[in-house]
Amino acid sequence: MTNHDIAKTCLGLYRKMQVIRQTEEELARCHQRGLIHGACHTYVGEEAIASSVCSHLRTEDVVFSTHRGHGHALAKGLPPKELMAELFGRQTGCSRGRGGSMHLFSPEVGMMGTSGIVGPCILQACGGGYSFKLMKTDNVAVAFFGDGAVNNGAFHEGLNMASIWKLPVLFVCENNQFATEVPFAYSAGNPSVGSRGVAYGMPGLTVDGNDALELHRVAGEAVARARAGGGPTLIECVTYRTRAHAEGMGDFTYRTREDVEEWKKRCPIQRLRTTAIEQGIVTAAELDSVDGEIKGLVEEARKFAESSPWPEAVSATQFAYSEDPVSSKVPIQNLRPAAGREITMTQATHEALSEEMGKNPGIFVMGEGIGQRGGNFKTTAGLFDIYGPTRLCDTPICERGFVGLACGAGMTGTRPVIDFMFADFVLDSVGEIVNQIAKIQYMSSGRLKMPVLLRGCIGIGHSAATHHSGNYYAMYAQIPGLTVVVPSSPYDAKGLFKRALNSNDPVIFLEHREILSVKGPVPETEYEIEFGKAAIVRPGQDVTVVALARMVHLTLSVCDELEKEGISVELVDPRTVLPLDIETILQSVKKTGRLLVVDEGFAPCGFAVDVAAQVADRGFNDLDAPIKRINGAFTPTPYSPPLEQAVVPQAETISKAIRELMRE
Amino acid sequence: MPFSITIPRLGWSMEEGTFVRWLKKDGDVVRPGDAVFELEGEKAAQDIEAVDSGILRIPHDAPKPGTVVAVGAVIGFLVGDGEAVPNSINANTSTSASIPKSDAPSASAIVQSLPSRLAEGHEAPAAAPSVRRLARERGVSLSALEGSGPSGRIMAEDVRTTAKGKTMPPQAHSAQVASPRARRVAKELGIDWRRLHGTGRGGRVRERDVRAAKPQLNQLSGLTVVPVSSRRRTIANRMISSREQTASVTLMTQIDATNLVGLRTQFKQAANGSNIPSYSDIIMKLVSLALRQHPLLAARSEGDQWMIPSMSDGLHIGLAVDTEGGLVVPVVRDVGSTGLFELANQTVKLIEKSRAGTLVVSEMQGGVFTISNLGSFGIDAFTPIINLPETAVLGLGRIRREPVVVDDKIVARDQLTLSLTFDHRIVDGAPAARFLQTVSQAIENPSAWLLRSDG
Ligand SMILES: Cc1ncc(C[n+]2csc(CCOP(=O)(O)OP(=O)(O)O)c2C)c(N)n1
Ligand SMILES: [Mg+2]
Repeated sequence: MTNHDIAKTCLGLYRKMQVIRQTEEELARCHQRGLIHGACHTYVGEEAIASSVCSHLRTEDVVFSTHRGHGHALAKGLPPKELMAELFGRQTGCSRGRGGSMHLFSPEVGMMGTSGIVGPCILQACGGGYSFKLMKTDNVAVAFFGDGAVNNGAFHEGLNMASIWKLPVLFVCENNQFATEVPFAYSAGNPSVGSRGVAYGMPGLTVDGNDALELHRVAGEAVARARAGGGPTLIECVTYRTRAHAEGMGDFTYRTREDVEEWKKRCPIQRLRTTAIEQGIVTAAELDSVDGEIKGLVEEARKFAESSPWPEAVSATQFAYSEDPVSSKVPIQNLRPAAGREITMTQATHEALSEEMGKNPGIFVMGEGIGQRGGNFKTTAGLFDIYGPTRLCDTPICERGFVGLACGAGMTGTRPVIDFMFADFVLDSVGEIVNQIAKIQYMSSGRLKMPVLLRGCIGIGHSAATHHSGNYYAMYAQIPGLTVVVPSSPYDAKGLFKRALNSNDPVIFLEHREILSVKGPVPETEYEIEFGKAAIVRPGQDVTVVALARMVHLTLSVCDELEKEGISVELVDPRTVLPLDIETILQSVKKTGRLLVVDEGFAPCGFAVDVAAQVADRGFNDLDAPIKRINGAFTPTPYSPPLEQAVVPQAETISKAIRELMRE
Repeated sequence: MPFSITIPRLGWSMEEGTFVRWLKKDGDVVRPGDAVFELEGEKAAQDIEAVDSGILRIPHDAPKPGTVVAVGAVIGFLVGDGEAVPNSINANTSTSASIPKSDAPSASAIVQSLPSRLAEGHEAPAAAPSVRRLARERGVSLSALEGSGPSGRIMAEDVRTTAKGKTMPPQAHSAQVASPRARRVAKELGIDWRRLHGTGRGGRVRERDVRAAKPQLNQLSGLTVVPVSSRRRTIANRMISSREQTASVTLMTQIDATNLVGLRTQFKQAANGSNIPSYSDIIMKLVSLALRQHPLLAARSEGDQWMIPSMSDGLHIGLAVDTEGGLVVPVVRDVGSTGLFELANQTVKLIEKSRAGTLVVSEMQGGVFTISNLGSFGIDAFTPIINLPETAVLGLGRIRREPVVVDDKIVARDQLTLSLTFDHRIVDGAPAARFLQTVSQAIENPSAWLLRSDG
């Protein structure tokens, strides 16, 4: 480096650190005055880390961070006024008032979000790295996280995935020695984070986190390695936060004033200033003028925040779903054909997947055994040979890890398809789905998309027992941001799968294991089915039955017999639980006056409950009888065949319920 | 605690009304006496005044203009400064009764002479719909109860306590139930589902039971079902009550209206731009004179009692008016002391308001007698129905020039048929006939009667 370059670097680092310091101090003041509404974790004392690492990053490189993320956002290029406005809850804030301190989003500058949950940023950075690898760019992804995160499964799963796939990721651990008030020395069996790198097969370093110049050097090497395809690096930065965990919290129950004062003397900003002046790199006057300039910038930022408008209350639910949900041009054909070429449901989704993979190089599939083997249910058979290991990616058994990775990949421009085999396994990753995947579009006010397709088998049958038989659609249908598809026929499965692969919203695609090989007509031409459009599987006059997946087939099996008795059943399959096509159901009940919902899932707060409640509400005057529901028994699924049969709705149960309904 | 604004009962029999519009906006300061909203009762719209003060809060689920609302339903709130705003009309609050803003004479002469029990005691007691249902099921009459709830509201407990004392087992009055759909269809077809036999579980009336009750309607395709408006239903109920509660007899007589026609011609010439008194106006005036001689025909039945106006009471007479929405009977005030041209102005105004649907309730109350004129339809005689709580109604036929024998010569004269229906419970045939005779004489010599008018 030339002297000029060194001076430029010093001034640049000093400037970034000062922006962070002064902004944080102003935020602390505002918090005290009650101008900031929620929690506020400042980065005071740790400024060197974000400043040094981010000074190597380009706008296209991406940063994922934690609850203590103001510094990362500012260092990545977020203007202080957008940060302040966000904490003030204003429309001009970087998350348009939807996030606050712990949910800062500025994809425009590569700030892909801070998170109120400890851990996920590590997995999301892996996803960013995976996108860059797939798209063959030399961008890098950085995860900043605290010492509290390194004992979390996300750290383990993330570092391992990054290592085996050689992802261009920096894992930057800010070891400030406490997780809230729990000392790291207490919670870590191996209290050296840097030394853990070797356990995952990647370089691991421990650096003085308050030495900006040293950090700058180390980070520079790691970024260069990542860009060159050399894979990930773990950097432990030993540091200290000199303010309370969060503004307003008590500080001296777990550490002493003396400790804090001692660390204040090691202030990274002061340290850089002293070194730079002593070594004649910059003058005190130059640094003073930076201080003054930033003072003005922060004042301006605060005024901007205070004078910015509040978001409009009517927009409170805006951005839960994508504003432009689909991008495809394939014709929409919601109506089922009566006849034609017959294939199975698995073949139908396979066809959809291979058609779309051929068109969109951003689509990749992850799962256990979905590569060369072609999937437990043959969901990806033959595709590995065509598209190779990056697009048909076998994973270690770390559901949380690869779902978290999918989230980061979706945010950075690729389209992951996660193949779980059994939806029961998804439960290990529910936090990533519910807290991250479902919420990112909203928190980023629609500036990030979340095109993630999560598929897996549900349903009771063939003595699969309780860990391979859950029906989880109702649970996901409680989560704003998700779309939940539960198809019952090959035609629906293909059209909805194609829709999902062109949707900007995350989709949970649940296939009932007992109907995977049921054949049905599927046209050879391409088509899509819209979400939230029910199918009238069989028209009728006397009673409406709403059913999903296997229950559609079961209900259908009793319709002819009932018809002979003079009971004409109208069978409605909503196809998607969320959004739910309640209008079609209401139309049907308007005609028949009677409603039975057949739901293999559990009753409490479930799918049938929701359908019943909505019809009772909006279709009250059309009801000629009470609404009836049939649900699976409220118990884990047993193994033994007679026990299994006893917990799942049977055909006779359905016909009996329909006859009774006619007598009401 | 916020005060709720509720739907008041306008008149005695109103169960529901149509919410017309708010007269104040959400957030407006409301003082007692301010008109807060407009409500359409059985026949007319009325401004409703606040009895409490506060800031008006209209929840999102408050009724929209044009919706039918039950008496007692909460439609909004009055809150104090800084007080929490209930976000739904179902929120629990203390109730603020609203009182109808009345521009009517506060009480008619008849009411003043009533014993006090009748004067106050006729208001239907306040009770929630669920309590009313309970009372129906247990065969308990609400009016016999004293409410223990806030402002005397009858609570479920009150009904239960009373029901316990009754010998009649509750099953004897087995609760008649209908599915929501059956109720809706019954309403559309104008069928009272309570009279039907239910084929559903526990005797529940289902849609099929309702449809079976009107087979002719169902089998004949092409018939449209006309929803029964609440005004139509009111008219229907009143007609039935009149038929059921009175012993009505109709007398008819043909009289000579030549002088009446002549007088009207003179009025026409003298009108000078103002409203010319119609035949009905002139006859109304003459009837008021006849009623002074036969006050029993002006009696009002109030419960078990008959109230006869005294000489100092003004006589208010109703005029049946045909409108698009059905029959209404606005009442002309104090006919006796109103000059004929002024009377004409008043009836023109009342007829206009009737047709525009803007009559207020007070303009239809307090009558002692009603006149119904079907002459313009070419009708001569008919049997008018008594407008309760009055005693008699006079029907006017057409006026037509006919050959009649006068002094053994056939001459052309204007003829008119009068049809008087009276309540034989109150008046016997002879006094009623004498009244009709008086009216006939007055109409045959209108000028003389009007000139000696005593007001
Ligand atoms: C999964 C999860 N568990 C618990 C919390 C509550 N929590 C918020 S911050 C924090 C401590 C985090 O410590 P560390 O990762 O070291 O970050 P630091 O606050 O020290 O910067 C905890 C436990 C959380 N946000 N997420
Ligand atoms: Mg920490």
